[in-house]
Order: sequence, then C-alpha cells, then structure tokens
Amino acid sequence: MHERLSFYVKRESPLHQLNPLTKLTLIFGLILPAFLVPFYWTPHLLLVLVVFPLAFLGKVQGEYFNAATRLILPAAGFLFVMQALFIPGGEVVLARVWFLTLTQESLLYAFANAVRIFVMISSFTLFMLTTHPSELMSDLTRRGLPGQFAYVIIATLQIIPQMQAKANTIIAAQRSRGLDTESSFSRRIRALVPLVGPLVFGSLVEVEERAIAIEARGFTSRLPKTSLREISDRPLDKGLRWLLLAMMLASLLSRIWFS
Amino acid sequence: MPVVRLQQVTYYYPLTETPALQDINLEIEEGEFIAVIGPNGAGKSTLCYTLAGFIPHFYKGELQGTVEVDGRSTQDSNLSDWVLRVGLVFQNPFNQISGAKYTVFEEVAFGLENRGVPRNEMIQRVEEVLEMTGIADLAARSPYSLSGGQQQRVALASILVMQPKVLVLDEPTSQMDPIGTREVFGVIRKMAQKGMTVVMAEHKMEWIAQFADRVIALWEGKIFLEGKPQQVLTDERLAEKGFGVSRYTTTARLALSRGLWQAERPLPVTLEEAVSGFAAIRNGQSKGKP
Repeated sequence: MHERLSFYVKRESPLHQLNPLTKLTLIFGLILPAFLVPFYWTPHLLLVLVVFPLAFLGKVQGEYFNAATRLILPAAGFLFVMQALFIPGGEVVLARVWFLTLTQESLLYAFANAVRIFVMISSFTLFMLTTHPSELMSDLTRRGLPGQFAYVIIATLQIIPQMQAKANTIIAAQRSRGLDTESSFSRRIRALVPLVGPLVFGSLVEVEERAIAIEARGFTSRLPKTSLREISDRPLDKGLRWLLLAMMLASLLSRIWFS
Repeated sequence: MPVVRLQQVTYYYPLTETPALQDINLEIEEGEFIAVIGPNGAGKSTLCYTLAGFIPHFYKGELQGTVEVDGRSTQDSNLSDWVLRVGLVFQNPFNQISGAKYTVFEEVAFGLENRGVPRNEMIQRVEEVLEMTGIADLAARSPYSLSGGQQQRVALASILVMQPKVLVLDEPTSQMDPIGTREVFGVIRKMAQKGMTVVMAEHKMEWIAQFADRVIALWEGKIFLEGKPQQVLTDERLAEKGFGVSRYTTTARLALSRGLWQAERPLPVTLEEAVSGFAAIRNGQSKGKP
C-alpha cells in the first residue's frame, strides 16, 4: 500500500506532458465557463465535448470513468435530486408528491447544476490523474511559492497512509490488551481516548525528529533551490495559458453582458 | 591541526538545572573514528547534536565554551551552512525520511535541491552515493516501502551526498535487526576506510572495537574515560556505572577469576579475540602437561 501515495497514473500522453501550471489553469478554464456562461447547455457541452475527450487524450479514461461512476456520479446525482425537489418556484408542474413539487424549471436548473459539479470534480480528477504532486510543487516553487508551503502540502499527502497504518497498529495493540472497540456507542467513544492519545503524542515527537532530519539536509537554506525534476514549459504551454485566461475572461464578460 | 575542537563545552537544556554536558574538551583529527559510549542519559545524543549544530541553533538552552569544526564555530554559523561541515544521522530511520519525495533517488537529492546544486551535478552525486551505500537498485522505490536497514542506508546516503567534513552518527543501528545492523555498519566501515572523520554514539561494543580509533565514555555529561577501544571497553568500572559491556569481555573476566584466562593477556571485546584467548589457554595447558 505504501507504494501508491497519490492518484497519479504514470503514462505517456499529451496531457501528462503539459506543464502543471497549464493544467491548473485548464481546471479553472473549464469551471468558470461552466458556471458563468449564461447559455443553458454550456456545462453539458463542456462535459461531453471537452472533459470526456481530455480523459482519452490523457490515456486515463479507465481510471477517470471508474472514478466518475463511483464517486462523481453519486455526488452529482444527490445534488440533482435535492435541488430538483426543493428549489421553489416554477410554473410548469410535472408532479406532486405529498409536500414535494417537481416543476420543469427546477428540474432543468438542477440538471445544469449537477452537470456543473460534474465538470468541476472531473477536471480536478483529470488533473490529479495526470500530474505528479512533486512535479506540481517543484513547478510552483520555481515560480515563487515558498518551499515550506510546498513541503507541507506534499508531506501531508504522504503522511495520511502512514498515520492510517500507525492508527491500525495502535488499535490492534490496545485491543490485545482488552480494549472494547466493538460494543455500544458510548463504549466506543470512551475507547477513543487510549487510541487518539498515543497517535497524537507519538506524532508530535516524530515532528521534532523530522524537523531535525530535514534541517540536516539544509531545508532552511536561503540559497535558491534547484530541482531534480525537469519540468517542461513549452511555448505551447504559455500559449494555452493565455488562451484559457482569455476564455475565462470572456465567460465572465458574457455573464455581465447578458444579465 | 584537528578538524573538530571542543573547548570547555557545557550545555543546559532549556528549563533544566543540571548540565547535559559538562566541561567537554575534545579534539578530533581528520580521518579519525571516534566512538562515544555511555548509558542512557549520559549525554551521547546531546554531544552529537552539539557537533551537528542543532545545539545551539535548534535546541535553545545555554551553551558555554566553543565548538569548532574546520576552524569555524557553530555559534558563528547558521544551521543550513553547517550541514556541509557536519552531517547527522540518527536512530529512527523512518523519521529521517523527508516525507516530501516519492522515490529513493529524489529523497537522496532533497538536500542538494535545498542547497541549489545544479541538476547535472546533482544526478551524478546521487548516483555515486547510491552506489556507495549499496542501494542503487532501490532508486525508484518509495522510501516508505523499505526495510529498516535499507531506510537507514537511504538516510546515510542523504547525508553523505552533502559531502560533510565530519559524519556524526547517533546510535544508527539501535532500531535495526542483525541484518540491518550489518548493512549499515558495512557502509560506515567503507566511509571510515575512505578516510572520513566519523563520530559515532553506539551501544554495540563488538562493532565499536572493530571500527574505532578512540573511544570516549560519557557519564553524567562528562568524559569519564577516553582511549584505545581495547583499553576503554574492557575497563572494570564500565559495568558498575551502567555501561553496556561486550559479552566476550564478561565471559573472559569470569574466566580470569577462575584462572581460565592468562592474566597478562588483555580482556577481549570481540568474538575473535575471545576465541584466540581461550585457544592460547588450551594450547598452554596441553603443552604444560607431560
């Protein structure tokens, strides 16, 4: 389990080759139009004509559609049902059950919103599937993000599985000494104390040692850092970023213009 | 000229009344291998942190006296420059992994990135050090997926790649199994043979006897004994003060009290010395009998 610490899938694809910042811009270049452009079918078209093809372009269609059906679809579906049933207003009544009214307007509104959420989570998912976290952080550090900030992000991503493993060890150790973690609710709550204590205090001690360890490798050096990873930033990337920025601006303007 | 020089070093941790180190005077020549022994709380780790500059730069408290490496004192330097003079490796291999890198190769390169070493030189230095520490085949693995001995060699490599003048090891094998211990000491032996100056706090007397040029025994923050390994490690006073003693020394001392060890022969620390000592007794007896 320790080998896989991120969503990243290593493949050779045009999407993988893009600079991380370009892909980050792409996320927002998809989300903003989906939410802002007043034309009703914008998010739907973006999803089918841009997001889905991007998954194939990045050669991560398998992983993406897996995540889409198991994670994104239920979330968007839930949102759709709630909004369709609870958004007030609308004249064309389609159905009435008890106190719930389903109108054509609320249905359409909920549908568009659900697709917007779908586009949003999808673009983040595609980003994470095709961008290595260290690559993202090295690139952002190179562009002026403080090293400490980048470290905290990456170390947190890595620490979660470690903490899980440690929590399991502590649970096993306490249960072998007779701690009851499986009966009534109040007992389970009480059982948390001897579990959380060692986990938290143990982690605090580790933080001190880890601080020494990275300090011993010159972490706080004021010299400009270099990077082992070579991150490409081609003219194509720059062009794409400008194009995406222009699109974001255009969608913002269209919103202001038509409303 | 000695590469390390400690003069009248006394140190109090914050909020403590008793010194963790007291009046330490120590000079270490270039290429020398110093082993530091002592029971828990004797000041071994404190001495290591003092040499590595974490005292006074990381742990506050009160430091008196001077700690000089290569003609410069810790007080006049900052920690991120000091790492090029003194490299520190400590006990827990897991906590020495930066947590910011996904492969062993990147992990070892981390320090060089921080120091702004150009990429080409970085790759070359990392490859060299991976080869030297015998972990070149692990380069693409996640540092978290390794065994303790492998992780500790990654930690060693991560420090050695910085090319420090002095290598300080704080009980580097105390959390290793016998295989891990052998792997780690294998690398340390190689570094010593290459002429690196090493200071190692360690409990495993048999290994110390093989490596060290000089042994320093700390007790309650003071240097209590100092000298050749053979002479210090077999000193009678060690056991009563709570120092670890090699089982071969203990065995031979018992043998001596029963007249089974030649009185003029020094007590052994390693298996080999013990065997040759007992062999000499047996040969002596067989010759003595008609």
